[in-house]
Amino acid sequence: MKTVWLAAYTLVYLEVSMRVGAAPLCAYGQAGCQVPTLAEIFDRVIQQSSRMHGISSDLHSEFEQYFFPSKNLIGTERKCHTYAILTPGDKENAQRVGREQLTGVILKLLEAWGDPLSQFYQSMSQGQNQDFNYYSSEKALEISDMVHELRDGVEKMADKMKLLGVLGNTVGYISPETLVPSSAFSYYKRGYLNSVDHHDLLYCFRRDSNKVRNYLRILKCTTLPGLDC
Amino acid sequence: MKEVMEEAVLLFLLLVIYTPDAQGTRYSPPGKPELTRCRSPEKETFTCWWKPGSDGGLPTTHALYYRKENSDTIYECSDYHTAGENSCFFNKNDTSIWVNYNITVVASNALGSTFSDPVDIDVVYIVKPNPPEKVTVTVMELKEWPFLRVSWEPPHKADTRSGWITLIYELRVKLEGDDEWEMHLAGQQKLFNIFSLRSGGTYHVQVRCKPDHGFWSEWSSTSHIEIPDYLHREKSMWILIAVFSAFIFLILTWSLHMSSHRSLKHCILPPVPGPKIKGFDKQLLKNGKSEDLLRVLVVSDFPPTTPSNYEDMLVEYLEVYVPQEQEVLLEESKDLHDSCLKFEGSTSDNDSGRVSCDSHTLLMDKCGEAKEEGRQTDQEDSTTEAEAQGQQKDWDQDTLMYANGDILSPEKSSGRVKTWPSVFSPLPQYTLSLPDQTSSLEMAKQHCYSDSLFCPGSTSSYLTHLGNNDNETLGPGSWEICLSNRQPYSHIPQMQTCQQVRSHSDVNISTIARKQEPAGLPLPFFRPTAYVEVQRFDEEDMVVLQSIVSDHGFHEGFPQMLQQEDYSKVKGVDSNNMLLLQTEAMKEDGDGTTPHKPTAHIHTVVSTQDEMAQPASGYVDTATIFTLPTY
Repeated sequence: MKTVWLAAYTLVYLEVSMRVGAAPLCAYGQAGCQVPTLAEIFDRVIQQSSRMHGISSDLHSEFEQYFFPSKNLIGTERKCHTYAILTPGDKENAQRVGREQLTGVILKLLEAWGDPLSQFYQSMSQGQNQDFNYYSSEKALEISDMVHELRDGVEKMADKMKLLGVLGNTVGYISPETLVPSSAFSYYKRGYLNSVDHHDLLYCFRRDSNKVRNYLRILKCTTLPGLDC
Repeated sequence: MKEVMEEAVLLFLLLVIYTPDAQGTRYSPPGKPELTRCRSPEKETFTCWWKPGSDGGLPTTHALYYRKENSDTIYECSDYHTAGENSCFFNKNDTSIWVNYNITVVASNALGSTFSDPVDIDVVYIVKPNPPEKVTVTVMELKEWPFLRVSWEPPHKADTRSGWITLIYELRVKLEGDDEWEMHLAGQQKLFNIFSLRSGGTYHVQVRCKPDHGFWSEWSSTSHIEIPDYLHREKSMWILIAVFSAFIFLILTWSLHMSSHRSLKHCILPPVPGPKIKGFDKQLLKNGKSEDLLRVLVVSDFPPTTPSNYEDMLVEYLEVYVPQEQEVLLEESKDLHDSCLKFEGSTSDNDSGRVSCDSHTLLMDKCGEAKEEGRQTDQEDSTTEAEAQGQQKDWDQDTLMYANGDILSPEKSSGRVKTWPSVFSPLPQYTLSLPDQTSSLEMAKQHCYSDSLFCPGSTSSYLTHLGNNDNETLGPGSWEICLSNRQPYSHIPQMQTCQQVRSHSDVNISTIARKQEPAGLPLPFFRPTAYVEVQRFDEEDMVVLQSIVSDHGFHEGFPQMLQQEDYSKVKGVDSNNMLLLQTEAMKEDGDGTTPHKPTAHIHTVVSTQDEMAQPASGYVDTATIFTLPTY
């Protein structure tokens, strides 16, 4: 009888321990969690940014097809509200900038887009065009959430890199207000509320998410050169 | 008039002269050029191509101007030659990523210039890399199965190492001569394995790549690879085929060999005997006229009256057994295997199952054969012919009466009924219900159970039951009728049902199957059945019995308790007018088992009050009633 109980206890213990082993990575460093490696963080962050960029591209092309079948709209001048954030425009500059600045740029960009996207989602869900807005508003919500998650993830990544000594401490959190107009969303309004605003916003966000993704990849390959690079 | 004419002619001439010149020298501003495409191979430089319009007859030059996003500065393309004709190459210094370029081409000649439609591009989205390089294909083995390993490198211009550009790859494979390619998406890896190859074939492999958001590159140059023949694999296949075919060959040989042997064939596929009745016409049966059919079977001279018919009569076997123990049936059934039974279907009982045997002659032959097998008693020898002629047979211990099964329904499940013969009742009192007196069947001869081809049907049902029409009075005795399905080739009786049959009350003759003699002799049921054939029915209402020597070689395995016992000896007459017969033990030891002393169980009662109980001297010939209907 005792052996039976012992066996039962052993099984339960093993199962619990194994369950712990299969627990998802917890980036908060909670007790009992398995702390992810930098490579894992990089992979997750890059994946997230790729996905975000993909969804924003889809949204943008949907808008273009639905509202502006002709391609004339490209010709108009547009200005993104993040124009003040200086970003390296080519490979040499990106490599010259250094990891700390690059990380700072990424964080700035992500920070700058959190608010406008939330407002974008809200205006989408209240839009008159219910057929179009139904699926697009879901995507808008998705990218809005993703931006926030990605920002948190990049912060963790920076912390991890600082821990490992790969990243200097000059990276700081810059208040977005200094660089970005206070009401970023209204920046795209142009005085009236219609779908054109959304188009510009989406165009700008698509580009900025591409930047973020690219900078993250550069960060990864310069920090951890491996098979993927 | 003439002047007008002359002016007209002059004008006409001028027109004629100058028209060709005017065509050749007509100048116009150039046609509108058109930007066809812009491509960047590595996201660091890019090239734009345009298609010029008509040149307007004058030397036309083209120029490309571009403007960057949020800047009003117009730049002109600095390199028109690197990328070929009608192209503009933007080098690294001039290329900015994530910046909108507004590009316009201008065609100009002496007469004017024409602007093309502007095109906006962002370099990030126009990346089309070069094909992958250094594609190598090798054949490798995994557990003796070949597979292709394809490896490549990204195009040297694309900087994937720094992470600036990320490429995903795709390859395609086909056999030489095939039309369709097999596509494989390889993701970001630069190595890929292809399985499921055909040995001995030549494969073509190509690879291409694409950035995350961009265009697919061109396919790389084809790599050819030949898969060597893998004989050892095919060898095993041939071995399998050889073994399988040998196996089949063996089976065929065996079956052919076996088919020539009757025993196995019979073992596997016992022939299904059909009804064979002398004079029985199957065609008539098919025609459905039963009367005509049965008429054939009717024998005109019925009842037999003259002893001269004695020899002509078919003899019927009687098997006597003690009804209580079922095992006897077993034995008896086994006995029947090699014994020829003939019985006359006289007793047309209600539920008589008549089994038809083959013809008399056939039976004779068969019986002869059977008898020859293992007769041991001298009487047997005589009975060989005796049977045929209806001569004396030996009584055996157990006598069973085989009633004739219905010819038309040989399958009646009635087994052998051991009944006592009301059969023995004299004809006039015999009120057995014959379906048709005339048509009653007669000698259904029981077929021999030896390996005979004549045996009609697997179930030997015989018996009859003498059911009498006037049922009730339970005669002096009632006997049990045990029906057992006998399978001629099986030693195990199928089912046995015992019915109580009542004897004729009127008929004093009632045979009682009694269990055991008060003499206290053991009565093993397990006896070989001996057959008593009822020779004839005497005029004096005497049943002439003859015991038939049954073959000793009945069935294998049956303990030869065969005792050629002579039941023909009359012991005495009972008070109830029962004829007590006793056997004369003539044992024939089959396997050394203690022979049992058979007791006279069956008592035939002769109807007539003649003291037929002839003294136990020799045989008692009792004519069997069975012969009644047949003649």
